[in-house]
Amino acid sequence: MKALRALVTAEAHIFVRDKASMTFTFLFPLLFIVIFGYLMGGVGTAEGAKVGLYVAPKVAAARLEAAVAEVGVADVVRIAAIPDLEKAIKDRKVDFGAEWDGTTLRFVYDVRRTQENFTFQELARGISARFELANQGRRAILDVRSVVEGGEARADWFTLVVPGILAFSILSAGLFAVAGHVTSMKQRRLVERLVVTPMRPVALLAAVVIVRLAVVFVSTLVTLSVAILLFHVPFHVNWFLYAVFLIAATLGTMGLGTILSLLVKQPSSASNLANVFSMLMLFLSGIYFPIEIMPAVLRELSLILPLRHMADVMRYVTGVMDMSALRFWVICGVFLAVGVGLLPILSRYVVRVDRR
Amino acid sequence: MEETALRVTKLRKSYGEVHAVDGVSFAVPVGRVFTLLGPNGAGKTTTLEILEGIRDADEGEIEVLGRRVRRIDRATKERMGVLLQEGNFEPYLRVREVFSLFASFFRSARSPAEMLKAVALEDKAGAFVKTLSGGQKQRLAIGVALINDPELVFLDEPTTGLDPQARHNIWSIVSNLTASSKTVILTTHYMEEAESLAQKVCIMDHGKVIAEGTPRELTSGLGQDTIVEFVVPEDTEFPTAVTARCALVLGEGGLVSTKTSDLAPTLGCLLDWSRSSGVPLAEMAVRQPNLEDVFLSLTGRRLRS
Amino acid sequence: MNGILHLARTQLVTALRERITLFWFLIFPVFLLALMGFIFTNVGKTQDLTFEVTIVNLDRGTRGGSFGASVVETFRELATSSAPGHPSLFRLHEPEAGNDPHGYLADEIAALRIGKRAAVIVIPEDFSESLYAAAAGPKSADAPATLVTVHTSGGRTSSEMALGVIEQVVARVDQEILAKLGLFDAARAVTVDQQLIGAESQTFAYIDFLVPGVVVMGFFVAGLFSVPGTILFGRESRVLRRYWVTPLSVPRFLVGFSLGHLALCGVQFACVWILGRFAFGAHVKLFQPLAIAYLVLAIVTFLAIGFLVAALARTPGAGMAIANIINMPLMFLGGLFFPTGAMPPALRAIMLTNPVTYIADGLRASVGVSPSAYGHAASIGVPLAWILGCAVVAAFRLKWDVGR
Repeated sequence: MKALRALVTAEAHIFVRDKASMTFTFLFPLLFIVIFGYLMGGVGTAEGAKVGLYVAPKVAAARLEAAVAEVGVADVVRIAAIPDLEKAIKDRKVDFGAEWDGTTLRFVYDVRRTQENFTFQELARGISARFELANQGRRAILDVRSVVEGGEARADWFTLVVPGILAFSILSAGLFAVAGHVTSMKQRRLVERLVVTPMRPVALLAAVVIVRLAVVFVSTLVTLSVAILLFHVPFHVNWFLYAVFLIAATLGTMGLGTILSLLVKQPSSASNLANVFSMLMLFLSGIYFPIEIMPAVLRELSLILPLRHMADVMRYVTGVMDMSALRFWVICGVFLAVGVGLLPILSRYVVRVDRR
Repeated sequence: MEETALRVTKLRKSYGEVHAVDGVSFAVPVGRVFTLLGPNGAGKTTTLEILEGIRDADEGEIEVLGRRVRRIDRATKERMGVLLQEGNFEPYLRVREVFSLFASFFRSARSPAEMLKAVALEDKAGAFVKTLSGGQKQRLAIGVALINDPELVFLDEPTTGLDPQARHNIWSIVSNLTASSKTVILTTHYMEEAESLAQKVCIMDHGKVIAEGTPRELTSGLGQDTIVEFVVPEDTEFPTAVTARCALVLGEGGLVSTKTSDLAPTLGCLLDWSRSSGVPLAEMAVRQPNLEDVFLSLTGRRLRS
Repeated sequence: MNGILHLARTQLVTALRERITLFWFLIFPVFLLALMGFIFTNVGKTQDLTFEVTIVNLDRGTRGGSFGASVVETFRELATSSAPGHPSLFRLHEPEAGNDPHGYLADEIAALRIGKRAAVIVIPEDFSESLYAAAAGPKSADAPATLVTVHTSGGRTSSEMALGVIEQVVARVDQEILAKLGLFDAARAVTVDQQLIGAESQTFAYIDFLVPGVVVMGFFVAGLFSVPGTILFGRESRVLRRYWVTPLSVPRFLVGFSLGHLALCGVQFACVWILGRFAFGAHVKLFQPLAIAYLVLAIVTFLAIGFLVAALARTPGAGMAIANIINMPLMFLGGLFFPTGAMPPALRAIMLTNPVTYIADGLRASVGVSPSAYGHAASIGVPLAWILGCAVVAAFRLKWDVGR
């Protein structure tokens, strides 16, 4: 017990004094959230879209204007000539344009506004659907009423990304606790100095786990708070499930780190491998891009990526998305089993003397 | 008078209150192996680094191959070769690529093929540096130090950490150097290395030169005495008569030594005592004084501290 | 000269021989281009996506028939038809004959909540009645629309996408019903078109927008990470010190090192361009003087930033940490991948001082992908200022050996 306390204190000091670790664990996710919050917050919502409208001379505009207004854009700006409309779009005075010459309704977009154009095109579809009918003096007699069940009704791209970033920071913390910190100790032969004392290797590992858990809790809470306070992300956190998942995921990702460390010949290569692995997962797990817009083969692949499931669970415990209780407990169970199950192997790895 | 390859006068280098090099002066004749000897922290490496151009001295004069310089400049480096105490090569370069690379830094240099042969690394020509053993890496480093066929070669602790076989390989390379009239400045804390290679020795301690001369001159300063050493159980008490008559010096771990100009009576006294007391004289050695003894007599400490 | 060329070669071959460098500087940009290229050229096309959709028809119908049934039929057709080689858009779930539809609906909504369904469509009981009434009424133009309820799962993109598709289908069905009722003349339908502007070339494709961005990103990562990494690790492990005891001077080393870095970036560029050109059909004209000038400017700017990082860090670990911190804002606030829309002043300031912003803008303008937003003077001037600033700081602060 005395040894464990001392080890925990030492591990905590080591972590806090290591500027690189502190930066990655705390600053990184925060930077992410802040940058993406300001860049992308609001993308995916139609509010605030300004439409530039050009109607050819002697062509009636009223019905088109009405259709545009009905769809719920923020503002409609009438523009006198097509070149002016294009200029207004390029200068971002309007978000997209609509040209009506009496037979063709052309929507004009700025090619550089990649992400936003999806939303604008949806608006345009709504406008054209209404206008098609309005042009013949009709209204739709059939329409859709949308009801959101479970999860967060106002979930935009950013609301979905934040739990993904939280999941990623848990992954990094767990993964690099082993394939970074422990392997570095092994590389520098620090572990040997401890192992030749009566200290039990499991005590060292327990200390690493305890400190990492504390770190994960603090960093995710800080990131969550920033997202909520600064960007008003509509989270409803189930704290019990949040805690359960954090513990299971931290242990599980440490287990993953163990697997990676065993795959490499040199302990120092473990963190490189972990970096590659985590970066690839970040792109393929539906965090940056929704899974649905990825190629089919990558969608299938994502099912075996731990981060994909971690992101889903984080969305669940933050109330963004619903999930079956069974799935939640199975995922947590698997992570816990991997983590706890691999601890003896990690323990043996730690004490194993490698040939120089 | 012998030509001087290197002359150092009153060299000083301090780090705050610590005088790492404190007024060091010596001269190295051309074509000799000159050894700087001393324990860790004596100032050998700092002295050498100043002469290699890695550090600047605070004070002092340096004359290299007839040129007086304030600091080691490019022209001097063209004529020098340096083996660093600590240093690495790019791990993903092949051995012959390392030689090619370093050869390109000099106006004239030997070919990689020649160097591979000179340091016996021909069968490792295509190997990556990261795959070499400690001894092979050191041979590579020596080869690089000699790539420009230098007149003056600095070897800083060339055999530290090497096994005996590797060490002997390095020694034979060094011997070949002087055979071709190169001047070698060697630092080591291995006494046997200094005794076997050096033609002139300079003993340093605490940043100062405390003795200088050939190995024979230095050891003969201890007189014609013979050293007798043996080991007894630690709690052994010698009768006062024996201690006084044999001038015993009691060391740690039961090591006892004495210096005598009259070997037979001293040995006789010790053997008589051993027989009568029943205390065996283990690991007895009778030898001539060496540089370690010189250092011990000058500083009261051993070279290998 | 010989030493310089050898150093350049050393820099290039050691980078390519180290697997991890090979990954980050060649494989990763290519992977990113492939992934984003695929995503952005296929966006909006849901050929390979099948939505699990439930439809529950509660329509009582009228004497004249059931509109609800025709709506269900439309969705059934979509669930069975597909383009060759692609799965169908929907996998449709319906209650079996004799099942209690309300009970079934409750089960399906439960399944929807946990992601087993993308959407649940409910056709209300008075669907047909309401539609007939709307069609036949005197002021049919003003009557409220009959609503089909679509239940979606919160926080699930697939649900949102399914909703979008369903809305389009319903709009089509709406037109068909109106046409059947003689209230809509399909022959007089409006032609709907779309146009993308901001591209100078006629044959613009997304990949032409992406390739310059990925190229610049690759150079950026190479400069920001590889340069300080090599120098700081070389310094700490005393690889550099072995050079300094030879006649090699720091300026000559810098020239050789920079040439090697240029060559590495050249290899990187070749890999990205080849993938863009031959796998995605990019037409972007990168081999013309102004574009090449921007590419070289990019390499040199990021090389200078790399030296700046090496100058600011005392250890390799610190250097990598600094590089990682700088990486994110410069990369994401440079308009490389994400539109830099409405931003608070602080982030806008970063964007406007970020050399990546200007280089990306200038490069895209030079290849005709989009007009220059800042003008070539700024696009060249700001990076040049960065080069100068970094060089000055590095000249004073960068230590080439440990413990001097």
